[in-house]
Order: sequence, then C-alpha cells, then structure tokens
Amino acid sequence: MRHVPPGSFGWLALNEVRLAVRARSSSGRRGLLARLGATQVIGWLLIAAWLAIGCLIGWAARDTAIPVLPELRIAALGVSALMLSFMTAQAVLGSQRSLYDTGDLALLFSAPIPESSVLLAKMLGIAATIALTYAVLLLPIVVPVAVLGHPQLFGVVALLVALALTASALGIALTLAVATLVGPRAARTFGQILAALLGGAVFLASQIYPRADHKGSAMVAHFERLRANGFGTHGLSSLPGRAAFGDPLAIAILLGVALLLFAGAGLTLQRLFLSGYQDGGNRLSRSKPTGRASQRLFHAELTRSIFAKEWRLLARDPALAFQIVMRLIYMAPLVLAMLGSRHAVPVPPALAFASVLIASQLVGSFAWLTVSAEDAPDLLAVAPVSKEQINRAKLLAAFAMAAPFALVLPIGLAWQTPLGALITVIMTALGGAGAGYAELKLGKPSQRSSFARRRQGGVIAGLASVAIAVVFGGGAAIAVYLVSGDLGALRMVVGQR
Amino acid sequence: MSDFSSPLALRIRGLAKAFDKPVIAGLDLDIAAGQLYALLGPNGAGKTTTLRMVAGLAKPDAGSIEIFGVDARRDPLGAKAITAWLPDEPMLYDKLSPLEYLAFVAGLWRMDPAHAAQEADRLLHWLDLWEQRDTRCEGFSRGMQQKVALAGALIHDPKLLILDEPLTGLDASMARSVKDALRSAVDAGKTVIVTTHILEVAERMADRIGIIGGGKLLAAGTLDELRDRAGTEGMTLEDTFIRLTTPDAVAA
Repeated sequence: MRHVPPGSFGWLALNEVRLAVRARSSSGRRGLLARLGATQVIGWLLIAAWLAIGCLIGWAARDTAIPVLPELRIAALGVSALMLSFMTAQAVLGSQRSLYDTGDLALLFSAPIPESSVLLAKMLGIAATIALTYAVLLLPIVVPVAVLGHPQLFGVVALLVALALTASALGIALTLAVATLVGPRAARTFGQILAALLGGAVFLASQIYPRADHKGSAMVAHFERLRANGFGTHGLSSLPGRAAFGDPLAIAILLGVALLLFAGAGLTLQRLFLSGYQDGGNRLSRSKPTGRASQRLFHAELTRSIFAKEWRLLARDPALAFQIVMRLIYMAPLVLAMLGSRHAVPVPPALAFASVLIASQLVGSFAWLTVSAEDAPDLLAVAPVSKEQINRAKLLAAFAMAAPFALVLPIGLAWQTPLGALITVIMTALGGAGAGYAELKLGKPSQRSSFARRRQGGVIAGLASVAIAVVFGGGAAIAVYLVSGDLGALRMVVGQR
Repeated sequence: MSDFSSPLALRIRGLAKAFDKPVIAGLDLDIAAGQLYALLGPNGAGKTTTLRMVAGLAKPDAGSIEIFGVDARRDPLGAKAITAWLPDEPMLYDKLSPLEYLAFVAGLWRMDPAHAAQEADRLLHWLDLWEQRDTRCEGFSRGMQQKVALAGALIHDPKLLILDEPLTGLDASMARSVKDALRSAVDAGKTVIVTTHILEVAERMADRIGIIGGGKLLAAGTLDELRDRAGTEGMTLEDTFIRLTTPDAVAA
C-alpha cells in the first residue's frame, strides 16, 4: 500500500483486499487449537497437500493433450452457473454486512473520498472474498497443470475473476434493490432470504427437474438435455467453456462484460448505496401491543419462561427461520435420490432415514440457537438457577420447536407400517436428542446472526451431529426395512440368534 | 476500616484472581448494608473482575465472598437469589419488548407471576418505559436499554445491586433518572455497589468509597475520611483519587 497514493481508489481497494484476506485467514480464533495457531497451520498444510496433488496431476498430464470435448464445455457452463449462484448469494450477504454491520462506512463516508470510490472499493473487497473462497479450491490444481504444459487452463483463473466481479456487481445491485423496495426495516431479512434462495436455486432446480422421468442421475439427464439443444457448445452459452480452456476471445468478452458490470454498478449505484447506508443507520423498532393483560406473559416455571423467550426470538427473526427451512429443502434431493434412482431404496426405510436426518438437523440447529447463540449469557449466569437446569430447559425448547417438522414423515409412514412409524418416532427422538446433546457439550458460543457459518466454530460438533444422524438414521432404516419390507429377513435375524 | 452499625452486605476476604498476571491479589473488602458504595480505581485495577466474581460470573482463584452472610462460593444459587448484576453493556434481547424481557427475568428468579406482573408494571411506569413496554428493544437508545436492564435488575427485589459503569454513554437526563433510581433503591433499604470513572458521581452520591489498585484495596471510607488519609483536605475527590493511586501509593 506504500506505493499507492493514500486516499486514492487503488489505496482503498488494496485496504479492502487486505481486510478480505485477513478475514479469511483469521476465522475461528476461539479454542485452544486456534490460539496455538494450529488451525492456520493445518489449513496451510491442506493447501500444500492439495498443491502437491495438483503438481502430480500436472506432471502426469504434461505430455497429454486435453481434448476440449463438448461435454467439458457443458460441464464448464454448469459449474459456472452453479458458482455464479453461490457467489451472488455470498455477494448479497457481503453487501449487507458492508452496509449494515461492518461499521467502517461511517469512517469512509466522513472522509474526503468520492462515494463511487468507496463503493467500488467495497465491491472489490467482496469480489476478493468470493474469489479467494474458490481460488483455494481450484487454483492449487489448475495452476500447476497449466504451468506444466497446459497454459490454456489459465483461462480458468480468468473465468473465476470474471465470475467474482459479476457476482459482486449483482450482489450489491440486488441488495440495494431490496433495500429500496422493502425499506430499511425489512431489508436485512429480505436480503438474507434472497441470498438463501440464490444459493440453492440452481442446485435445487438441477435436482428436481429431471426427476419427472425418473431416469438416471440428475447430472446425466442435464447433460443429455443440454447437448441435444447445443447449449454450452454453441453461441453465447459456450463462452464459459471456451474461456476455461483458454480461448482468448471468450476470455476477453467475459472479463470485459464483468468489468463493465462491475464499473457500471459502482458508478450508477453510489447514491443508492449512500442512502442505503444512511437509512440502515436508523434502526427502527417494531411495536406490537400484546393485547393481553401483562400477567399472561409471566410464568412461574423456568421451562415455560425459557420456551416463551426462545420461541419469540425465533418467530421474530424470519430470516433465521427461513434459513432453517432452507436446510430442510436442501435435503430434498438426497431423499429424492434415494427414492428415485434405478436401485431405489424402498419407501419406508428411506422415510425413516430422512426423518432422523431432518430431526437431528433441526434439533441441532435449534439447540445451537438456544444454547450456543444465547444473546445474554451473563443474565443466565447471574440468575439463581443452575446451568444444568437452564440447559435442560433449552434443549426441551429446541426439541419442542423441532417436533412438528420431525413428526411429519413418521405420520406419513404410519399409513404403510404403523410399527415402522413407531420405530421411526423412537429413533427420530433419539437422533434429535443426540444432536441436541452434542451441541450442548461441544458447541461454541456465537452470535445468532452467524447461524449460516455456525459449523466453522465447532467442527467436532458438526462431525458428531453427522455421525449421530447416520447411526440413528441407518438404524431406523434397517429396523423399518426388517419390520415392513422383508419379514423373512427379520425371522432370519431372530432365528440366527 | 470496618466500623459499621448495620450488617454486612458484602464481605470479601483474601480474594485472588489471575489471568496472564495477577489481577486481584488478596483483596479484603467490607460493605455495610443499606449504602451506596462506589468502587473506584484506575483502568485495569480489577474493579470489574472483582464484581464479576461477586456476581458469580468469574471463578476466584482463592478467597471468600459472603453476600448477606451467604457464602457465594459454597451456595452460589443462594447468593444469586438476593443479588442483581448490571454490566456496562445491558444484557438484553433485541427481539423482546421490555415487558417480555421482564417476564423472562422474573421466570429466571422464579417469582410469583402475579406479583412479578405488578412489579413490572410499577417499574415500567417508574422508569418512564410504560409507553414502550410492547416495543422491541432493538431500536432503543443506549439510555433506554440501560433503563430496561435496570428494571430487570430490580424486578426480583434484590438485596444487593451491583452496577458496573451504569452511566457510561448516557445523556444528562438519562443519567439523572438512573441516579435517582439508584438513590431510591438505597432509600428502600437495598445496598448498591457501583463502579464509575465519573468521580463527581461518586463524590455526590456515594455513602462510602473504596479505591482499589494493584489488585488490593488502597483506601475505603467516606469522602472526608479519604481526604484525611490522602492529606487533601478541602480538595476534590479527583485530587484525592490521584494522590491515593500514584504508583508510589500503590506500592506502599
């Protein structure tokens, strides 16, 4: 930064990129491992290992020509679309953080710097954050292969840059459009919902559409459809594929369009950005008369008090509730895959497995909210109630909030096999309890607003909840299979004992 | 140092706490019931750490804490039942209204619902929060949030009220109403302990003042007693405070 004039756009942009890099490298500072710097060491070791794999691949493929097959171009188009949807979701969230949470805009807007420079620098910071996420995954493989004999693959780097710049421009435009349409009070909530929808849109669409004919996997069905229409191999849709494999014209077009979008958004949205920030500073309260005698709010039992509080906090945070529901929707493809493939799992065991999976996911999420994301831990710590009592009440609240969703599949299963449904309910309850207990014991304190990134702070809790879902879900599926689908197998198992 | 006619609200003996280095080192402190006691000290003197240990938020390495005769280390729930803690950052939930917040706090202290509702109504009127009782706290000013938190601290009728920098960030009007509330609490027989960097507040409001530094109690008494000790007769508390907390005085 020493070689760039202070206060210039370049200087601001470098500052934003520096912040983006540091935010990536310093995430999750809590915990013994992190304090020792071990998390970063492990991260660098993983990248080094990934790079070594890339070098091996590059060395092995140094004399082998990479044929640019139509399938590869279609794959490049599909991956680009998927990445753009994820990146735009990231950019919307990043824009929201810039506008409403970071707090440095007060400093930047009070400095004698043009608003367009501030916005463009912020957008560049968002683009850098996004690009870094994917660069860590892609570049250790792509760059060695490109250096060791396939320089055309540097086109992947250009494609990544173009996608990140485009996503950043789209993200800020969507965020400001939402703020303008729904007002500052609802802008955050709507923005988060929009990000969740964007993040899942391509993935869900790609999974659900081909299910209509129940033939083969989603990916194969898409390939067949796209190839039949010449999509991804001809015309504008071929640009990502051509750029990824080094076509200079395609690279120039994509980078040019991305830069135009980026600069255009920065220059045209500066006023909207400023007013969005100014409106966002006015934190408005929502007043809703209870319409009840105040006595009705007061409860003598600790569990009721905690349940009422947790329920109100969740019900008044629609963005958070929506994120939880989206997690359930993301599971739909897995269930559809189990039911719809050629070697389909019978319906009852699949439903039993899905039920446990949903319950453990939901109870884990609610338990994280109630236990780890407590807004006023000191208030609970100074209350004359033991920690165990509070945790028990919170787990109960998490369980109760998840119960209506977790019971849907067992009720559906009861039409086919009542005994299977009973087993599923029991295993679902056990799986949910296990997930809640894992969060209680292994979860780390955090903010409710960081729900989407909650697993970054508690890797062990995340692994434990997956293990619990697999063990109890698998157990439920096997048990339901034995009692519903193949009684002979059950007799055999019993007979052998 | 302890010349009290009333029983002790707080009795601390040999309290010690170290993080990277010792923060509190053998602190002895007596605070009589029914007083407003100001705990002063330079930055990093250990005021907040001491009070967090009294409130049960930090575990002492050594020493004893008694609140109205209840051993806070052996019977933490018994001690918490008669104590309220109000930190400089109010412990609130953005998405709850003041009334809902008070209902939650009353539930934690397991108050009788009818009595708690009456108390909530009284406190909301008294602290001038009645009109906002159903408004979520998320848009409240710092002073409003502090008043909601104060209502939460008072609703369960604590005998000992501990406040860490209660006037930080408040405007003159809000600061006045919080000070009035504290004075009223003392008049109603409660014991109030406050830490503050605003020495005028301690000078005007406190019945007794304690000054800690280097993890120990440097001096305690009424303002006149402190002046006598520091040799600053006729001077302000600020002069007295600076005299008593110089490195030489702390070392002595």
